[in-house]
Amino acid sequence: MNNHNGSSGNKPRISFHEFYDDDFTPRAHYRPLWDHIRATGQNSLEVKAHESQLALQTEGVTFTVYGESDEGIERIWPFDLIPRIITAMEWEKIESGLKQRVKALNLFLNDLYTDQKIIKDGVIPPELIYQGKDFRREIMGITPPQGIYTHISGIDLIRAEDGEYLILEDNLRTPSGVSYMIENRVIERRIMPEFFDKYRVRRVDHYPALLLDALRSLSPRGKDNAEVVVLTPGVYNSAYFEHTFLAKEMGVELAEGRDMVTINDIVYLKTTTGLQRVDVIYRRIDDDFLDPLIFRSDSTLGIAGVINAWRAGNVALVNAPGSGIADDKAVYPYVPDIIRYYLGQQPILKNVPTYQMTNQQDREYVFDNMEGMVIKAVSESGGYGMLMGPASTPQLRREFVDKVLENPRNYIAQPVVYLSRHICYMDGELEARHLDLRPFVIYGEDIQVVPGGLTRVALRKGSLVVNSSQGGGSKDTWVLSE
Amino acid sequence: MRYQIEHETILEFPHSVREHHTELRLTPRNDLNQRVHGSRIETDPSGKLGHYIDHFGNRVDYFCVIPPHTRLVTRLIADVEPLRENPFDFSPLPPGECKEWFRKALKNEPSLHDYTLHRSGETPSIVKLTAEIDRALPRHTQETPLMDSLFTLMEWIPSVLVYQPGATEVHTELIHAIKAGAGVCQDFANLFITVVRSWGVPVRYVMGYQAPELSLLEKSSEVATHAWAEVLIPGGGWVGFDATHNLLANDRYIPVAVGRDSYDAAPQRGSFKGDEPGKKPVVHITISGKGAGLQAPDAEEQE
Repeated sequence: MNNHNGSSGNKPRISFHEFYDDDFTPRAHYRPLWDHIRATGQNSLEVKAHESQLALQTEGVTFTVYGESDEGIERIWPFDLIPRIITAMEWEKIESGLKQRVKALNLFLNDLYTDQKIIKDGVIPPELIYQGKDFRREIMGITPPQGIYTHISGIDLIRAEDGEYLILEDNLRTPSGVSYMIENRVIERRIMPEFFDKYRVRRVDHYPALLLDALRSLSPRGKDNAEVVVLTPGVYNSAYFEHTFLAKEMGVELAEGRDMVTINDIVYLKTTTGLQRVDVIYRRIDDDFLDPLIFRSDSTLGIAGVINAWRAGNVALVNAPGSGIADDKAVYPYVPDIIRYYLGQQPILKNVPTYQMTNQQDREYVFDNMEGMVIKAVSESGGYGMLMGPASTPQLRREFVDKVLENPRNYIAQPVVYLSRHICYMDGELEARHLDLRPFVIYGEDIQVVPGGLTRVALRKGSLVVNSSQGGGSKDTWVLSE
Repeated sequence: MRYQIEHETILEFPHSVREHHTELRLTPRNDLNQRVHGSRIETDPSGKLGHYIDHFGNRVDYFCVIPPHTRLVTRLIADVEPLRENPFDFSPLPPGECKEWFRKALKNEPSLHDYTLHRSGETPSIVKLTAEIDRALPRHTQETPLMDSLFTLMEWIPSVLVYQPGATEVHTELIHAIKAGAGVCQDFANLFITVVRSWGVPVRYVMGYQAPELSLLEKSSEVATHAWAEVLIPGGGWVGFDATHNLLANDRYIPVAVGRDSYDAAPQRGSFKGDEPGKKPVVHITISGKGAGLQAPDAEEQE
């Protein structure tokens, strides 16, 4: 491997530039935007940047960042004025690739929790599943409505050095960020209405309506008789803003576990006028905490008895319990095989090459090349439990060697991919920063990919870490309709 | 021999609790080796009972008591007939054929991996044990008949653990029992399971009862729950090994629930709103030699 980072003094590999072509002229689809910026001048950008900050503050669009020891700091959502633009042709491939992937992953989950044909046929090693922290044997044999597990998926895409979109990871548990996707658009439209005159941008603000429709369609008492609740772990959760946002936008109740009670396999919301039956729970808490009777008995965030109510078919849980095994990072390298197995198709979007730490050869290779690797804990998300090779210290690398050897199943490694760059307006200058893309996929009566997504930006120069929980920023993401 | 079993658990709370959900794994297993002629669950306060079969094949009965209460009583009454009079009544496959047999069994039934791969405080990885035990652990080679290795293991266990009532709690980690050199039936079962798993052979924890010998069986004998292990034997199916008594489980053993370890097979599990209970549950189990007057469970629920 020959990976370097800028800070070590070596010449960085050339990452794909979203905005500029190789000759440093703006790409065709950015030219109208660029002409506009040049015509109005950078001073106007400064004014607009200030306005957008004020707007985010007034709207209360915040995000909580948790460090190692502190209690969490609520920050204004970091937003960059310059939109990211995706052409209709690029989007077509992304959309069909994501639909294919989500369809296959749901078939996989349904199989794992019923017949396990894919294991019996030798495509997936049984150890991978039975040693997976997020395989929920407790729900074995239960089939959720239509066999759908992941009604909401947030799939992270990056662009490799040659511009090809690759799948970085699947987020199938409680993916967050969709509220920021919508807020970014609201702010962009308000601050930069003139940008929108020059493009036909597909809308994303109907996401809450799409979500509500998908949630209602799962109601055991029928779509027209659906009481939907958003279940939040509470104000201390880093995505609490999003929980309140979605509940408000959908016009449904936001509740904590203690606001609900299960009585004889039926879940009720405690209201001032008495108990009110609940049909669909959009839960934003992890499986572990969902039902103290079945999973972690010390959980005070969940609803005791909710799994048995779900088993009885009296309530829908979104996403379904057990979905996490399909986005386990050690399962990720098998997703192309999963797509071939269930759909008989070649994957439209490729994976990033991945080394499995349970494989001795892979492991030794990774240990010999740690500076060019990203090592990830398989059940973590949000950039936690991760080693970024190029930015790591020798001591941190030694710690990771020990961690991997202690529990190889718990880690995977990937060669560092130099994420694509885009211009960002930073303190009066236009500078390049790395970014990724998280589109959202809703699986209700059919599979829909919302044309857009959350573009996350690594705010620190040269950094490849875009996670919002690690201080990343964001951009409005435009998908063009033609 | 048919037995009538009553298993009563009383929970008392110093302050009232509410929204109390309970799952019971008390209904004895109904399979080729044991017939359940009838069983029922009673609770006080009463609640509507639901049930399902869990992923280990256990029947789970559950109910909830919503209003405030300071006492919860659950009771199982069952009429069961263990059928395995002679636990040696099978012909094990020759050692040379076992490897292939296990390979096929694990391939056709992936869930068996739970019984080979699971590690926990109660059934830890063998590396943790060898650090604590200064003598060689029994090994199993492919040339040795599996039953011989298992008997050697059962005979070896008393050299590490002495039976001592009250030495450990329900979910004591095995390593603590080993350090103390003493334990109760769970610890014997856990040690047995831990070693057998290190051989890659499927083995599961069993919670149940051991009936007194016929000559000692009174009109109503008070017993405690017992724990042992079942090993999947090529040619023999699941065979019970009672490491506490160095015996194969015969028709005096009444299996109730199985799992990877004692958590999976816990007879009672609950969740409620209110202060933690101040007292330990009070459990009364009686076995008598006569079953009568109970309805058999529905046929489709029988495993």
